[in-house]
Amino acid sequence: MPVITSQSPRTTPKPLAVVRNRAGAFLASYDGQVRIFLLPFLLGTALLIVAPAVLTVGLAFTQYNSISPPTWVGLDNFKNLLASPLARLSIRNSLLFLFMAVPLRLVGAVGIALLLQRPGRIYGPLRAGVYLPTIIPEGAYALIWLWILNPLYGPLNALLGGLGLPTPDWLIQPDTAQFSFVLMSLFTIGEGIIVALVGLRTIPGALYEAARVDGAGRWQSFWRITLPVLAPWLLLLTFRDLVVVLQNTFTPSFVMTYGGPYYATTFAPLLLFELAFDMFDFGGAAAFMVILYALTALLVVGIVNLVGLNQDADVA
Amino acid sequence: MWRKLGSAARIAAGIAVAVLFVLPLLWMIVGSLRPTGLPPARTVEWWPSDPQLGNYIAIFDLLPMGVYLRNSLIVVAVAVPATLLTASLAGFGLSQLREPWRQRLLIYTVVLLMVPAPAVWLFRYQILSWLGLLSSLWALILPAFAAGSPLLVLLFYWTFRRTPVSYFEAARVEGADAWTSWRRIAMPMARPTTAAVIVLAFALFWNDFTNPVLYLYRPDTYTLPVGIQILKQVDSTNWPLLLAGATLVTLPMVLLFLALQRQFLHDDALSELLDRG
Repeated sequence: MPVITSQSPRTTPKPLAVVRNRAGAFLASYDGQVRIFLLPFLLGTALLIVAPAVLTVGLAFTQYNSISPPTWVGLDNFKNLLASPLARLSIRNSLLFLFMAVPLRLVGAVGIALLLQRPGRIYGPLRAGVYLPTIIPEGAYALIWLWILNPLYGPLNALLGGLGLPTPDWLIQPDTAQFSFVLMSLFTIGEGIIVALVGLRTIPGALYEAARVDGAGRWQSFWRITLPVLAPWLLLLTFRDLVVVLQNTFTPSFVMTYGGPYYATTFAPLLLFELAFDMFDFGGAAAFMVILYALTALLVVGIVNLVGLNQDADVA
Repeated sequence: MWRKLGSAARIAAGIAVAVLFVLPLLWMIVGSLRPTGLPPARTVEWWPSDPQLGNYIAIFDLLPMGVYLRNSLIVVAVAVPATLLTASLAGFGLSQLREPWRQRLLIYTVVLLMVPAPAVWLFRYQILSWLGLLSSLWALILPAFAAGSPLLVLLFYWTFRRTPVSYFEAARVEGADAWTSWRRIAMPMARPTTAAVIVLAFALFWNDFTNPVLYLYRPDTYTLPVGIQILKQVDSTNWPLLLAGATLVTLPMVLLFLALQRQFLHDDALSELLDRG
């Protein structure tokens, strides 16, 4: 490594190594420095992610308005929430949304990755094209869809009407409003496409060659080779999507419908926001969050059982 | 013959899908260029018949968009470099750590990825209020010093794990410290990852709508995504105006993405992601 040799005379006489105390020796040692590199990330996530997420669980058993000190109320918050029709409805909406959006997003990501996986000049720009909606700022994305889905002037209904197809009222009717949210979520699958593309590249070409020699058709090699190799990646993607796709409903439901019509788009994050920052019922909001944690955990366990996964997906 | 036809069909299908995905963006831009005061078109406009920039001037007259734009720029100017630094250092640290801590912290990072954002809303509000940072741009910038998102740390980690260990070993034998290894060996070999992380970090901070809504209440601290929502409250049916606002927020992000995407979306970069040295 000639690069390093020319480098070393400048870096070897480290002033810190001269210092005899242990802190100095730690800072000068390679392993010590490596740990210091991790410090901002570990401290930062402990303060900004771990502590808030864990403390929320404690808050769930208190009454707290973020001003006067919390008082212990036991399970009251949970009882109130489970008795509240709105909380139950928002959980129902969220689950329905997840059951529609997550599988469709997964199929879309894999399908598009299969279509665009080939090497070649044309495919680079096409990959960039399908990734574009994913990087549109969510506030702008919600506005764009509010325009696209506008039943009178929006381009979607103009297009459908022009083709002689039915023109639904989209965000005005409860069931089409929920479907609109699913539709919107199907365009922001760039992350999934990339993961699937990378996963597809891990499959050695020789495997397909061998399958062809054995007389396997395209369809068969997809089921026997492609899908099994992709499986751990897809599983990881599914788990991540379960978390991300629901939290991503916040901005559109906040901007486009504010939960309407008739609470059809009141998904869990919006209700959480209302509980905490409209009513300042931090205790109730925390309890609702805990219920959501539990439901997500149940879904993950359910999927793991369904797939019959014995060993953890290897992400290392 | 059939193979050629098949690949032509594949390209056609690929183009059709890409066009479908670009359509929302196209409709946004076309809609924003419509002359102010003109009634909405009754058929689909694929291209503006009389493109005008009036709406872009109008949004700056109607609201202090300049202030929002400045705030957004300050946030990304601080947060994106900070994220790049902390995420790459953490990813490098993780890749150089000895077992069993490497595995333990890796699991920690993957678990962080699964924490839903709303889970931290309540207490982050509380922590920011204790630190006196509510309704300051620091409320938005702070996560940058924790690498922005665990995903970015993992991206760097996966890249550095594929850098042959012997490179780092050799540097160590030569007496290079970890800082030098990171700067001289690790980072220069991680160009596609760096490009991807810049795009993702910019998206994280520039596009952020939720955090400003939660933690900012003084109008002089609002960022662009909040600004275009105020626009909607001011003039909720003036679509060309609203789409001009949406375009204003979207364009910098799209341009940055288009400038850097070749680095990580073209064929070699995708294979490079997998070359285990």
